[in-house]
Amino acid sequence: MKASRRPDGLVIRDGAMRIRGQWSVAWMMTPVAIIFTLLFILPSLNYFVLSFWRVAAFRVVPDFSFANYARALGQHLPVLLYTFKLALLTAVTTTVLGFLLAYVIRFRAGRLAPFLLLVTLLTLFGGYLMKVYAWKTILGNEGVINTALLGLGLIDQPITSLFYSPGAVVVTLVHFLLPFAVLPIFSSLRGVEEAEIESARDLGASGWRVVSDILVPRCQTGILAAFSLCFLAAVGDYVTPAIVGGTISMFGRIIESQFGQAFNAPLGAALSFVMLFASALVLITAGLLLRLWRPR
Amino acid sequence: MESPSRTFFWQLTGLIFVVFMTAPLVLVVLFSFTGGDIAAFPIPSLSLRWWQALFAKPEFYEALRNSAIIGLSVSAISTTVGTVTALGMMKLSERAAAFVTFLLGLPLLLPALVLAVSLLSFFIAIGLKLGLFTVILSHLLFTLPFVVMIIFSRLRTFDLSVIESARDLGASPMRAFWTVTLPILTPTLIGAALIALSLSIDDLIITFFTGSGAATLPTLVWSMIRTNLTPATNALGTLLLAVTLGGTLIAMRLTRFRG
Repeated sequence: MKASRRPDGLVIRDGAMRIRGQWSVAWMMTPVAIIFTLLFILPSLNYFVLSFWRVAAFRVVPDFSFANYARALGQHLPVLLYTFKLALLTAVTTTVLGFLLAYVIRFRAGRLAPFLLLVTLLTLFGGYLMKVYAWKTILGNEGVINTALLGLGLIDQPITSLFYSPGAVVVTLVHFLLPFAVLPIFSSLRGVEEAEIESARDLGASGWRVVSDILVPRCQTGILAAFSLCFLAAVGDYVTPAIVGGTISMFGRIIESQFGQAFNAPLGAALSFVMLFASALVLITAGLLLRLWRPR
Repeated sequence: MESPSRTFFWQLTGLIFVVFMTAPLVLVVLFSFTGGDIAAFPIPSLSLRWWQALFAKPEFYEALRNSAIIGLSVSAISTTVGTVTALGMMKLSERAAAFVTFLLGLPLLLPALVLAVSLLSFFIAIGLKLGLFTVILSHLLFTLPFVVMIIFSRLRTFDLSVIESARDLGASPMRAFWTVTLPILTPTLIGAALIALSLSIDDLIITFFTGSGAATLPTLVWSMIRTNLTPATNALGTLLLAVTLGGTLIAMRLTRFRG
């Protein structure tokens, strides 16, 4: 965060610019405010109102009923819990791996560090669908793993359980989400100086002590950001289970189907808000647990 | 100093990460050049037959055209709006600017599916016809935060005294912007535009719902995966990867943006 602090000189000039500048701040913030209001605030409010409406004779009609919420919590609760289990597994794995990699990039990789950071950023911005598709060609019955094992004579039949399984969903999600976990933790670690770790080491701290007493407390924001991003993305994803999950039912697929074959947008909206609310509870718990983490 | 074996251990960890992140994508590319019938090992021979199969599809050209229209429009609009926003944020207090960044980032936190269906419901509610236009609008929501962040972080390290000098020498604010600020910002703006382009071209979920069946490159991949699975899907995927990863790579060089 060092670079973010503006030298005082700039702030004073900033003031001078404000007096001279003819473009007011309000005017400059107008386009983004319009876009944000029209495309985020209003749609979110509309979506919330929709969750109390109902479908009658294939038409969405206004109503004020909690029936959708009752159905979301009654009928679909088992799938919600199952989805949360997979998402939690994904988010914890990704956050731990992300922490390890951020640590390697920040302190250990040496000349390799810029390259590792570049790979992280590259895989962050592109190839979402291709990543999911790639795992199909790796884990499938005719996939890379089964072909290799068959070729080596280690198995006679393809291992069908590799694919269309919860494991396949988690591996695919971890692969897709890892860059999202590395970056926030890495930017927190940039605030920790190498000298601090060196001195802790000189005073006899073990590697684990350094991680638990210095790095984790200093990276709380980054860790929580990484965990939240990964958890929410995993909870709401429907593409991954559809491609590598087979018949596995995840909450995102149920929401998606309300806007397709099931044709029940109000129920879809209620399902979404149940999912978001329950996710918020998980994230708040994760935040509190992280706060309890104190150096001994 | 660390022992050589420990250094080796850390570098190995880094390399395993690189292989884990890139190997699946390398496989996608490799299988697009197979002479066999499926995207799998063994590869009997290298051939371009699946690329030819892709280029023979009329749907491909429609998807390419739509993706180009959406990507370029989103990129142009979000870079323009993003520049104005970032310049405006420079005049705010540090706190207010951080708050704007936080607000803009909120949509990124939501699962893409929720964003997509809430936009879809809203467009239907206000009677906006679904199509390329609604897709372009929707994409702005997730490209703007990145564009604003990239331009704003460049502006913060910007030596404002050059603008002062221009103004002292009698340049109007507009003239100072066009002749001083903009040329210095150009590499960053191109970088931001490329990131917006990559994000937009790569998007499946929001395009799928807000476009009402408009074919783009990712929605074509999606339907190809679900219907007839041939290595032509890999060829299309390779093309998609080349655009998004290539765009990001150039952007990284131009902006020196590092997260």
